[in-house]
Amino acid sequence: MPNKKHLHIESSGQLCIYCGACVGICPLNCIYLDETRITFDEKVCTRCEICVKACPVGAIEIG
Amino acid sequence: MPVPDMKTDVLVIGAGPAGSMTAKWAAKSGAKVLMIEKRQEIGSPVRCGEGMSKSWLADVGIKPGRWINVEVEGARIYSPNETVFEINEKHAGNEVGYVVERDEFDKQLAIDAANAGVDVVLKTAATSILKENGKVVGVKAKRFGESFEIRAPVTIAADGFESQVGRWAGIPTNIAMRDMDTCLQYRMTNVDSDVRYCDFYLGKVAPGGYVWIFPKGEGLANVGIGVQVSQVKAMADARTFLDRWIDHHPGYAKGKKIDMVGGGVSISAPLKQTAGDGIMIVGDAARMIDPLTGGGIANGCIAGKICGTVAAEAVHAGTPTKEYFQKYEKGWRAFLEEKLYRNWLAKEKLVQLSDETFDKVIEALQDFKLEKLSVHNILKAVHEKYPEVTKEFEAFL
Repeated sequence: MPNKKHLHIESSGQLCIYCGACVGICPLNCIYLDETRITFDEKVCTRCEICVKACPVGAIEIG
Repeated sequence: MPVPDMKTDVLVIGAGPAGSMTAKWAAKSGAKVLMIEKRQEIGSPVRCGEGMSKSWLADVGIKPGRWINVEVEGARIYSPNETVFEINEKHAGNEVGYVVERDEFDKQLAIDAANAGVDVVLKTAATSILKENGKVVGVKAKRFGESFEIRAPVTIAADGFESQVGRWAGIPTNIAMRDMDTCLQYRMTNVDSDVRYCDFYLGKVAPGGYVWIFPKGEGLANVGIGVQVSQVKAMADARTFLDRWIDHHPGYAKGKKIDMVGGGVSISAPLKQTAGDGIMIVGDAARMIDPLTGGGIANGCIAGKICGTVAAEAVHAGTPTKEYFQKYEKGWRAFLEEKLYRNWLAKEKLVQLSDETFDKVIEALQDFKLEKLSVHNILKAVHEKYPEVTKEFEAFL
């Protein structure tokens, strides 16, 4: 998929509360929660934006 | 320093209630059990509304302890126009229950497991699954940054809502957006909550979910919300809706927030498969949460007892196969599947109701002498007063 949108998971603690909602809903199982760090697999992610909706605090941005 | 590889009979991943319960019962049934937890502290941070029923506790061997925070007398359901229907022990039997200190509860269950002989290792995360000839034979794990292997004939995925272990093993546990609620909760002090009741507010205040008030003490309560992900329109809707609800309720708007908790809750139909060769999935990871109430502790513990017992039996029999684990599949489904499925259907209907219909339903319940609380009885009550409302629900009657 060329020119994927930019996806940013703010997991420095400004917004993210490390709840794992994004990890559990990701249909491709490509988001990882490691204590206080959330990462995703850039190559696997299709920018379906489901995690953006699932995040209760709005810590995931796309655009 | 490299961490040495480990070997056990039953490996439990995740030390939440379902994991500890599974581990305890596997150990009690004679297996060597290792339970790993990725965090440094079991039960913390809390990701839970902390309300739970109490009727099931004795059946799975959980004794009351200091994790009980408040014993409530009942629940109050508020319709959108804030007509109230009260559920108390009279019609809910033992369904009414406790508000708990969830971190204490999880720790107590882990202590029970450890006392039954389970080895518990903290700060240890599973990073991938080990498979041989198509069978799960353990996991790759990480501890203090060092990778190592844990081998076991039986691996239990009790890794919670954000479960990945089951999916790594090839068992589909994915859920759709309409089958998940995104949740946020504040611990608030100086609020007008009532220690006798858990309160629930239905309707458009929380699309596809509800607002809850679970009392933690005088003037202290967990004030939270669940919003169905498929109904989320903008980023952080859970927070926006919860803040709006609080703003509109002076008894809460005057309160102060002292804690914030978030998380995902599955509200799905039961999974078709919760076991494979060498692996079983239990608790929130197996999507065992009640899709109507969002409660998962009781179901996870009930299934955990069965899971642990079957795990130990499989070790003794030398047959940790998907076929053997049908004992677990059949066992938990006998207790939970019908209710989960029925409540999922009810949820699917309820999320479509307008605020006006919710008002009518609660109003009808107020007037009706409800003896036992069940979906069937509720619909009967509504049918007497507003037959047109129940048309959509005829399948349940």
